[in-house]
Amino acid sequence: MSSSFIRQLRAEHQKGRRRHLLLIPFIFLLFQILWAFWQLNYADQEELSSGYLLLFHHLPMMNTLLLPMMTAVTASRLCDMEIKGDTLKLLYTIQEQTSLYDCKYLTGLSYLAAFTIGQGLLIPGLGMSYHFGEPLKWPMLLEHLAVTFSVSAALLAIQQTLSLLSASQILPLAAGLVGCFLGLFSLFFPAPIARLFIWGYYAAFPAAAMDWERDTRIVHYYEVSFPAAGFLLFLAAAIAIYLLCRTITARKEV
Amino acid sequence: MMLLRCIRSENKKLRHSLIFPACIVIPAIPAVMGTFNYMQNTEILTQQWYSLWTQHTLFYASFFYAPLIALYCSYLWRLEHRNNNWNVFMTAPVSIPCLYFGKLAVIFRVTLITQLWVGILYVLCGKSVGLPGFCPADICFWLLRGTLAAAAIGALQLFLSMVIRSFSMPIGIALIGSVLGMMISNKGLGLYWPYSLMLMGMNSNKTKDALSGNSLPFILSTLVFFLIFYLTAIRILRTRDVHT
Repeated sequence: MSSSFIRQLRAEHQKGRRRHLLLIPFIFLLFQILWAFWQLNYADQEELSSGYLLLFHHLPMMNTLLLPMMTAVTASRLCDMEIKGDTLKLLYTIQEQTSLYDCKYLTGLSYLAAFTIGQGLLIPGLGMSYHFGEPLKWPMLLEHLAVTFSVSAALLAIQQTLSLLSASQILPLAAGLVGCFLGLFSLFFPAPIARLFIWGYYAAFPAAAMDWERDTRIVHYYEVSFPAAGFLLFLAAAIAIYLLCRTITARKEV
Repeated sequence: MMLLRCIRSENKKLRHSLIFPACIVIPAIPAVMGTFNYMQNTEILTQQWYSLWTQHTLFYASFFYAPLIALYCSYLWRLEHRNNNWNVFMTAPVSIPCLYFGKLAVIFRVTLITQLWVGILYVLCGKSVGLPGFCPADICFWLLRGTLAAAAIGALQLFLSMVIRSFSMPIGIALIGSVLGMMISNKGLGLYWPYSLMLMGMNSNKTKDALSGNSLPFILSTLVFFLIFYLTAIRILRTRDVHT
């Protein structure tokens, strides 16, 4: 990494001062903590005995509902300062368009990483407070966090492009809202159709699944093997999305 | 007279904006997907128009109605947050309540169009899947009641977008508030949380009226929340100095 790029990255962090950007992942995480406490307070002993599996099943759904909007808000906060201040013309005379895109993207990723780490601490924290009957399987936790971070990173590339290309921020925020909708609906669709919607990928690689018996109304959670090949394919697609978004942004006339 | 002028000028601000495309496209997604879901599960969803209503409102009213209104509100205030427009706004020879109510009236008009569109989509989808007759009258009433709840959310979101100078943050807050609203509503405390009012008003994901035909507490709650946020916003506008 060249010293010039590091300077540009530092400038990007400086722009974020007093903009309370860390508040975005914090608020979303706080809400997930509240939701988790609410969910576990009403769980019976049977469910608590498989508490980690319950969390690994429910958290991806919660992520599908909330994180497309969180990435949209993060990208909008990072890019809107340039749109409002009409600074792109100035910046592009001293900085490569791709370099600005990368700096903003890395800054956005740092907030997504903060959220992912927070969720990574939340899961064992809940296990300790509610005395889950089973030990935490660390590979499962790492897989869950890898999926959460990589899907958010792919969405961030899309949102950042929309935010930089749009004079008003209606389009990127509406896209975030549409993404939440599509992601949530895709959970109820057959897998081949669900795979068409990137926003639903938070729940596409679950570490746990659920069986519900209609007659007895008993819920049973069980571990499922991580689809590593599918996830690697997704990572390749995510990189392609990032490169495509970066190229589109770089070609924009200002 | 002055109020009408304010409403007219706020309407002009929406010209050539992406508000109307958003208001058309976003409700179309739950309509199409809800109908698809209905068609996939017709053996469980047997109450025809009512079952289709549960699928259309399942996510729209519970999670996305409030963020959509938040999007409208954020756009309307964004114009004032830019280019020193706050100074122009505050020095206009018009009373503060008129200025603020002008914005509120426009938000309510766009929401009304959104809800009308939701109703049209519902009827079109119902007919396209071959449901007999016309949609029941109580569903039209639930749609109207959901629109009424928008008064409280409109006032709240307009207040949030006024005090938070970010376009996106109030929309994120609306989404979190809505998810929380569903949890609170499930505990039977929906009347005490503004974001629950929309899903209660629209009878989201229910075939029987959740308010059991007694809409008075719901109307009172909507009115109280509307007044709280409307009066707070007016007070802030009157007392606090603006930052441009």
